[in-house]
Amino acid sequence: MRLDAPDDRGKRAGPVHRLDARYKLLFTLAFVIAVVATPIGQWRVLGSLGLLLALLVGISGAPVRSLVFRWAGFALVVGFLAVMVAPGLPARASHGLVTVILSIVVKNSLAFLMMLVLATVTSWLDLLQAMRRLGVPRMLVATLQFMERYLHVLGEELARMSQARRARSFQGGSILSWRLLTGMLGMLLLRSFERAERVHSAMLARGWDGTIRTLD
Amino acid sequence: MHIPDAVLDPRVAALTGILGAAGLFYGLKSVEGQLKERTTSLMGMMSAFIFAAQMVNFPVGPGVSGHLLGGVLAAVMLGPWAGAVVIAAVLIVQCFLFGDGGLTALGANFVNMGLIGSVVGYAIYAPIRRWIGGQRGILIAAMIAAWFTVLLAAGACAAELSASGNHRDFFRILSWMALVHAVIGLGEAIITGLVVRFILLTRPDLIEQDPTFALEPQVPGGGPPRRWLAAILGGLGVALAVVVFLSPLASELPDGLEFVGQRIGFLAAGSPSSPIPVPMPDYQFPLPSLEHVKAATAVAGLVGTLVVFAVSWGLARVFSGAGRRSERASADAA
Repeated sequence: MRLDAPDDRGKRAGPVHRLDARYKLLFTLAFVIAVVATPIGQWRVLGSLGLLLALLVGISGAPVRSLVFRWAGFALVVGFLAVMVAPGLPARASHGLVTVILSIVVKNSLAFLMMLVLATVTSWLDLLQAMRRLGVPRMLVATLQFMERYLHVLGEELARMSQARRARSFQGGSILSWRLLTGMLGMLLLRSFERAERVHSAMLARGWDGTIRTLD
Repeated sequence: MHIPDAVLDPRVAALTGILGAAGLFYGLKSVEGQLKERTTSLMGMMSAFIFAAQMVNFPVGPGVSGHLLGGVLAAVMLGPWAGAVVIAAVLIVQCFLFGDGGLTALGANFVNMGLIGSVVGYAIYAPIRRWIGGQRGILIAAMIAAWFTVLLAAGACAAELSASGNHRDFFRILSWMALVHAVIGLGEAIITGLVVRFILLTRPDLIEQDPTFALEPQVPGGGPPRRWLAAILGGLGVALAVVVFLSPLASELPDGLEFVGQRIGFLAAGSPSSPIPVPMPDYQFPLPSLEHVKAATAVAGLVGTLVVFAVSWGLARVFSGAGRRSERASADAA
């Protein structure tokens, strides 16, 4: 998992990027539910959903190469889970084990790629705004917004700390490195707390009273 | 441990989704009431911290590494519901931005890692902390809670995975899940313990205070009933976690379940084409036999519990002398 993933927003502003995020969110939700609810072995339905997804990728100009790379890393885990779950499913008796496993993997891939396409064509802030307008609690949305803002700050802090550690120590045995790594985590936790205090003070100084105000 | 899309049965996904949404809604309300206008900054920052902390890889063996899950750590620092909200925020970002964990499995993942990880984890943590007392209590209780919640989450995950299929599958999936998660739980307990120890040595005031401690001098006699509730919940959690790694051993249990199922009649309708009398259907992969896995799971559970106790005791030795503690604290802070 990388932190820079959501950062390529806005660079390629295609027609799908400019759509209202609410429609994109609802469409994604509908698409994923449709994929998950498709019965096992219904290849035609899955195929048409896959064509729809391919069309979307084509229109939006989402980078195919990075989508495929992400998917490939993920498919292994899903395959393992499918192998574990498939033998017990009732559909196995009528369709055979291979069909069941393949169905699960294909269904999962469609849903996974759809989520990635959504993340590519919608900026996180637009997505959060859409969630809020669709009725997700404001406090949760504000927390998520805040979190995304400081994710990068803390990530950079972590990178600096690990660079400092590498500059000062050998790559030692694992027991030593566990001590060092947890020390790093503890330090990051302290700094996060202190940063939260500072940010909170700054917010108070600018009139923050706990109600979230937005311009729309 | 993130369950992806399409692996869960739609009914299971819907049920856990409703459960997760209700838990998150209650958690948000209670956190908002507790933290007031500090909610956004503290919750947002802690979510970002847990997210960042999950990216730090700990070396386990050649080619294998693990990372912190953080449910118990968040609960220890902020309290049970705040911890659950933090985990929810992390899961939502992972799902929407990285495709990690399915959209339809978000509820199940939140139940496993947020509600079990933080709320049940805190219910295990609070009574042990009170019982041992002091900073030793905080450290030992946090480690024990971390260990048991990972096992419990594995059990819940196995239940969710097998709920859509054959009930007999539960024990097969459970023994594998519990075996893998015994290792993960051990790592989680040790990482949580070391981080909590670091915090205790440097800024012990940041750890969430036990509300009943502050109330006790003012309210003489009978403790508040919430203590008992937490103790009961925690005990139940520990008992269930023990069941998670011991139950695959009890080979009589599946038969019992089957018997009940046949009596009630929900099994006969469910599988017309797969005959029930077959004790072990042909889905055995060329893996070590199930009996070995079951035994290994039980052994791993017992050994893991003992190791967690021993390590937590060892780590907590720092806090036995009050004078030594402050000395160490100032040395560490410098």
